[in-house]
Amino acid sequence: MIYQTARLTALACLISTLPTAQAQSFPTPSERFGDPTSGAIPSFRKHVIPLLGVRGCNGRECHGSFAGKGNFQLSLFGYDFDKDHKEIVRDEDEIRTDKENPANSLILLKPTMQEKHKGKLRFKKGSWEYQLLLSWIKNGAKNDSKSTPEFDRLEVRPGSIEFTNSNQTRQLQVIVHWRDGTAEDVTELTRFRTNDESIADVDEKGLVSAASPGDTHVIAFYDNGVQPVPVYRPISRKTGNDYPELTTSTKVDELVVAKLRKLGIVPSAQCTDEEFLRRISLDVTGSLPLPKEIRSFVADRSPLKRSKKIDELLKRPAYAAWWTTKLCDYTGNNPQNQTDPVFRNEMARNWYEWIYHRVRTNVPYDQIAEGLIMATSRQKGESFMQFAKGMSQHFKTENPIPFHTRETMPFYWARRNVRQAEEKALSFAHSFLGVRIQCAQCHKHPFDQWTQQDFKKFQAFFEPIQYKANTPKGEKGDKGNNYQSLMKELEQFVGYDKEKKSNRKELRAEIKRRALAGQPVPWQELYIVNAKAKPSTKKPNNKKRRYPGRVITPSVLGGEDVHLTDYQDPRQPLMDWLRSDDNPYFAKAFINRVWYNYFGRGIVEPVDDMNLANPPSNGPLLDYLAKGFAESGHDMKWLHRTILSSDAYQRSWKPNETNLQDERNFSRMVVRRLPAEVVADAITQATASNTRVTAMTSSPADRTIGPDMLAKNNKKLTSMNYALSVFGKPDRTENCDCERSNAPTLLQSVFTRNDPSLISMINGSDRRAKGWITEVKEWYSGKTKSTKQANGNKRLKQLNDQRKILLAKVPKKPRNTRDTKAAQRYQLTIKKHKEAVQTLNRNISKLKRGQSNGNLAKRQITAVETDKLINETFLRTVSRMPSANELNMARTDINSNQDKIEGVKDLLWTLLNTKEFLVNH
Amino acid sequence: MAPHFFCDGIRRRDFLKIGALSGTGFGLSDYLGLANVNATTKARANSAIYVRLAGGPSHMDTFDMKPDAPDTHRGEFKEIATNVPGVRISEHLPKLAKCADKYTILRGVSHALAAHRLGAEYLMTGNRPMPALKYPTYGAVVSKELGAPSDIPSSVAIPKGPNAPTGFLGLEYGPFETGASPKAGQAMNIRGLSLSNGLTLNDIDRRNSLIKRYDTAFGSFAKEDKVLSGMDKFSQKAYEMMRSSRTREAFDLTRESASVSGLFNNESFSQSCLLATRLVESGVRLVSVQFGGWDTHRDNFSRLKDKNLPNLDDGLAGLFKTLDAKGLLETTAVFVTGEFGRTPKINQRGGRDHYPRAMFCLLAGGGMQGGQVIGASDEKGEGPRERVISPDDVAATFYHTLGIDHTKEYHTPTGRPVMIVRHGKLIPELV
Repeated sequence: MIYQTARLTALACLISTLPTAQAQSFPTPSERFGDPTSGAIPSFRKHVIPLLGVRGCNGRECHGSFAGKGNFQLSLFGYDFDKDHKEIVRDEDEIRTDKENPANSLILLKPTMQEKHKGKLRFKKGSWEYQLLLSWIKNGAKNDSKSTPEFDRLEVRPGSIEFTNSNQTRQLQVIVHWRDGTAEDVTELTRFRTNDESIADVDEKGLVSAASPGDTHVIAFYDNGVQPVPVYRPISRKTGNDYPELTTSTKVDELVVAKLRKLGIVPSAQCTDEEFLRRISLDVTGSLPLPKEIRSFVADRSPLKRSKKIDELLKRPAYAAWWTTKLCDYTGNNPQNQTDPVFRNEMARNWYEWIYHRVRTNVPYDQIAEGLIMATSRQKGESFMQFAKGMSQHFKTENPIPFHTRETMPFYWARRNVRQAEEKALSFAHSFLGVRIQCAQCHKHPFDQWTQQDFKKFQAFFEPIQYKANTPKGEKGDKGNNYQSLMKELEQFVGYDKEKKSNRKELRAEIKRRALAGQPVPWQELYIVNAKAKPSTKKPNNKKRRYPGRVITPSVLGGEDVHLTDYQDPRQPLMDWLRSDDNPYFAKAFINRVWYNYFGRGIVEPVDDMNLANPPSNGPLLDYLAKGFAESGHDMKWLHRTILSSDAYQRSWKPNETNLQDERNFSRMVVRRLPAEVVADAITQATASNTRVTAMTSSPADRTIGPDMLAKNNKKLTSMNYALSVFGKPDRTENCDCERSNAPTLLQSVFTRNDPSLISMINGSDRRAKGWITEVKEWYSGKTKSTKQANGNKRLKQLNDQRKILLAKVPKKPRNTRDTKAAQRYQLTIKKHKEAVQTLNRNISKLKRGQSNGNLAKRQITAVETDKLINETFLRTVSRMPSANELNMARTDINSNQDKIEGVKDLLWTLLNTKEFLVNH
Repeated sequence: MAPHFFCDGIRRRDFLKIGALSGTGFGLSDYLGLANVNATTKARANSAIYVRLAGGPSHMDTFDMKPDAPDTHRGEFKEIATNVPGVRISEHLPKLAKCADKYTILRGVSHALAAHRLGAEYLMTGNRPMPALKYPTYGAVVSKELGAPSDIPSSVAIPKGPNAPTGFLGLEYGPFETGASPKAGQAMNIRGLSLSNGLTLNDIDRRNSLIKRYDTAFGSFAKEDKVLSGMDKFSQKAYEMMRSSRTREAFDLTRESASVSGLFNNESFSQSCLLATRLVESGVRLVSVQFGGWDTHRDNFSRLKDKNLPNLDDGLAGLFKTLDAKGLLETTAVFVTGEFGRTPKINQRGGRDHYPRAMFCLLAGGGMQGGQVIGASDEKGEGPRERVISPDDVAATFYHTLGIDHTKEYHTPTGRPVMIVRHGKLIPELV
C-alpha cells in the first residue's frame, strides 16, 4: 500500500521547485468577472464560496455560526459545498438566488445594503464581487463542486520575503493549481493571516508590510490550500558575509546557525560547567545534581566530560522515570479515568511500569507506541478463563508477575474519556501525531487542510476498538467459562442484587480478594470487534447527518483511503502509516516534544499543534532530526544525545544585543520555570538528609516522577500533592500538552515563602523524613556520631563478630597422640589461630582507642565549618559555589545569629526562594 | 512569541494578555487587578459564598417535604411553618424556618448524573461534564472576572477545593485552601499566610530583604525576561499579602464580636460559615465551604436528625443573619447545593440512594428576592412537576447576580470557544 501525502509534500517543495522565471501572468478575478460583458462564468467552488469566505460571510460571528444568522446558515469556513449550495439556492422560494430576476437575489441585496443587513456592507453594488455573484446566478447558480477538478496546490509569489527596514511592503500573488493542470490567480479570493504582526502584517489584499526585525510567516488560505510564506527582517547588520566566524561542531548547530546567520543573530557563549550540569540534570533526570557530583564535575579536566556526563545521565533510573512521566502525560495516564473501580490505581501504576521498563532498556519509540496502540488483552488463542487467571497474576499479592512482561499495554484504550470512536481519534492524534483535529470534528479546520469528511474517515479506524466485557462467539453459553458466568457466580456468592444494588461493596471486596489471591475474576478486556471489519456504515448522529447513508471509508490523515477488509485489525494500517518514511507527524511529534523539553519551546510551537499554518521555526532542523531518528530505528537515546551534544543546548542564558528578543531560534538558553514534579523533588533534594538525597538519585521510588505517585500509597509523596497542583502538574484528562503549566503564579510564591509543608521540610524535623538541617543540628549538638565514628562502630562490630566465630572454632587436639603428622598439623593450626586472635584483639583495641577520641561534644561552629555549610547550601539549591561576595554576605548573615544553624536555615530558605532555584537556566 | 489562533480562526489577541503570557506572569494584572468592567453586566453582588453539601442531601427530608406521600416515600420527619406564609420545611431546620425570608428555595432542580464526581462537577461549574474538557469552577471564573485587592486572595476554599478547580483556565485562578476547618474562638491557620511557628512580621520583612540581596543572579535581565519578571511581581504580591493585617485578621475568629460569634455553634460547619462571612467582609470574592456526610445510603433519618440537619440549620441560619446584620447580604450571593437529591423511595436499609432527577438548591442575597419557592417536584418528589430547572440555569443566575455574563466566551488553550455556562437560562424570579 502506498501512502500518499501529496498535499503535504507538494506544498513543502513548492517554493524551491518552481522557479519564478516560469511564472506566467494570469488575469485576476476582478479582471475576469468585473466586466459583465466578458462572458466568464464563475464557479461555485472556485469563486463563489471563496468570495463569501474572504468577505467574512461564513465566519463564526456571521452565517458560519451553528445557529446561522437571519435564518441563513453557511458551513463554518466553507468546504461543505452541497449544504452551502442548498442554503444559498433554496428552490421553494428563490429569494436568496432569484434566477428569474438575478439582481433581486438576497445574496446581492443584503451585502450591498440595498436591503437591511445586520452584517453591514460587504461589497458595493456593481463591484467585481457583485458582478461575480450576479453572473453566477445568471448562469443558473449551479453547484459544480463535484465536477471541479481536485485541488492540487497553492503557489504564492514570492516564496519568501526579506525586508530590510520598516517602511517596506510587498504584494503577494496567489495562484491555485488544479489537478487537471489548470491554474488561475486567486489572490483576491484568498484569506491572509500573519503569525506575528509585530514582525510583519498582511492586509486582506495580500499586501505584506514590515514591522520590527525578526522572522515569522504570512499564511495564505484558499479552498483546501494553506501556504505559509516566510518573512525575515535581520536584527543586526551581521548577516551573510558580515556574520562572525563560528565553528559548528554538530549538524544541529550547522542548521541552527544557518538560520541565525540569515537573521543577523549572534548566539550566546557556552555556559559554565556548573550551569551545564544543573541544566542537564534537571532536563534529563528531573533532578538536581548532588553537591559532590558538582565538585567532581567541575574539577574534571577531561575535554570529553560533558559528553561523558550526557551518557551517564541517560543511564540513570531517573532519566527513565522522567521520560515515563512525560509519556504518561502525552498518553493520558490518570487513575480516575480507568473504569475498573477496584484496581484503577494499580492499573495506572502498571501503565507507568510498562513504559518505565521500556524506556529504561531503551526500547525504540515506535515499539512503545505500538504496544499501546495495538494492545489486546488476550494473548492469541487464550480462553476467557486463561486470560482472567493470567491477568490476576499481575495483581496478586504474592510473587506477582510484573505487568511490564506483557507484550502490550491495554489501558490506553480503556479510559472512560475515550469511549467514543471520535474521542479515540482525538486522543490518538494528540498522543502520537501532535495534531489538533478537534476543529474538524464540527467544521472545516480554519487553518489546516482538514475537513469534516477527513475527520470522519479518520475516526472510522477507531470504531472497532472496544474495552469492556467480551464474550466472543465461541464462548457464548459456555457455562462457567465466560465473563457473564464468572460474574454471576461472584454475585451469587456475595448475595449481590443488581436491582437493589445491595452488597455492591461486598462484591467489589470479593473481586479484590480473589484477584489478590491470583484467582480469575471478571476482567474487562481490550479487543477488536469483528475481526476483518468492514468499512463502518454507522451513520453519524442526527445533528451531523450530512452524508446520509454514505459509507465512510477510513483514511489516514492526509492520505488515501484504506480498505480495511485487507486487514485483521484496523489498527494495523494505522500503525504502518505511523512507521512509513513519509509520515509527516509521528516521529516529528515526539522529536518536537523532546526538543521542547530541552529548550522550553518546540521547533513547532505550540508543541502539540502541528499544522500547515504553523510551520516550524527551523524546518531543515526538524527534518534532519526526523531523518536521523528514523535511521536510528526510533532510538530515543540517539535523539537525546544528538540534541544534548549540540552547542545550541549548551549555550548561556546571558543574552547579547542581537539575541535579547530571540526565543524561537535557539540562540541562547531560554529561562524556564521548573516543571511541577521537578520543583517538588528539587525542594526535597535541597532539604533532605544526605542519605535520602543519595537514595533519590539511584531509584525512582520516593520520587514524584516515580510509580508510587500513581499508586497513592506513599505518605511522603502524597504530602507533596498541594505543591504539585500549585506548580501545575497536569491532570491528564485533556488532549493538550498545555495541561501542564509552567507559568509562575501568586500561589507559588506564597508556597515557597511560607507554606507549612515547605517550612517543615526546611526545618527537617519530620521523623519520617529527617532533613538536612536537623542532621547538621544533631551533629553540632553531639547527638549524632560522625560518619567516621559510625563507620568505626560498624567495623568494630564486624571485628568482634569475627573474633566470636574464631573463638568458637578452636582447632581440636588429635585423638591419636601417636600420629605425629597430625600433631604437627595441630601445632601449626593452633599457632595460626592464636596469631589470628591476637591480630584481631590488637585491631579491636586500636579501633576502640580511636573511637573514644571521636566522640562529639556540643560545640560552636568554626569559621571554616561555616564556610563549608555555606558552600553546601549553595550547592544543594542553586548547584554552584557562592561568589566571593555571596560568601562574605552569608558569613555576616550567619554570624549575626546566636544560633548559627538558624542562620544556615535562613540561607537555605532564601536560596529556595530565588528565581535561580526555581528556574532552569 | 508566535501568537496563537483559536479554533474559530480568531486571533488570540486578548488571550495574549492572559493565556500565552501566563507563561510569563502577565496574568497578574488580570488576576489581581480591579474588576474587569467590560465583562460584567450590572452587578448587584460583588462577592459570593458557595456551600457544597457533599454526598447529595435528601431533598424530601429538608426543603422539599412531601407530607402526603405514601409511607414508602414520605420519611420520618414532619414539616413546620416558616416566617414566610405558605413555605414549609423540615422540622429539623427550625432556625432556618425563622429566616426563610432571607433565602429562596429552588425545587425540582433536575439533571441526569447520579455519580458523585460527575454530579459535583456539574453543580460546581454549571456545565454538564465532558470527558475531554474540564470546566472552571465558580471560584475560578469569579476570580478571573472580578479580581481582588492585591493583599487579599480572590477565592478561598474551606477546607479544600475540588480537584483541578480552574479547569481550562490558568492556574492563577485557583483558590487558597485553608486545609482545615476553623475552630471556635481561634485564629485560623491558613496555608502560607499565617504567622505560625513563632513567625513574626519582622521575620517576614527580614526574609524579604534576604531574598532581595541574594536573588541577583540574573541581574538586569530579570526585568527583560517575561518569566523572571513575572516571578518577581508575584513574589512581591505574596509578600504584601503576608504582611497585610487584613487577611490575617479575617482569618482570626477571635476578632469577631460576641453578638455575631454567638450566632454559631462550635461545630466545624458553623465555624466555617462564620469564617466565610468574615472573608467576604474583608474583600474575598468567593468563599467555598464544603460540608460532607450527606451520602445517606443507610440510616438516613437518624443521621440527618442527629447530626447533619442541626449543623446545617445552625451554620446557614447564622450565615444569613450575620450577612444581614453586617449589611452584606445585599452584596453577597449565596448558593447552597449538593450534587443531587436522594431517592424518594426509602430503601431496605432505611436509607435513600443517589437521585439526580429531583434535588433542591438555595439561592440568597445579592439582591435576589428572598422568601420565594421556585419550581416544584411532583407528589412523590420523583421529578420536576412541570417546569424543569437545570443546574445550568441556577449557575447562570448565580453569575448574573455577580454581574458576570454567563454567555461570555472563553477560549480553551486549544482554541475552542466555550461559554461560561453553555446552556443556562436566567431564572426570571431572581433577576
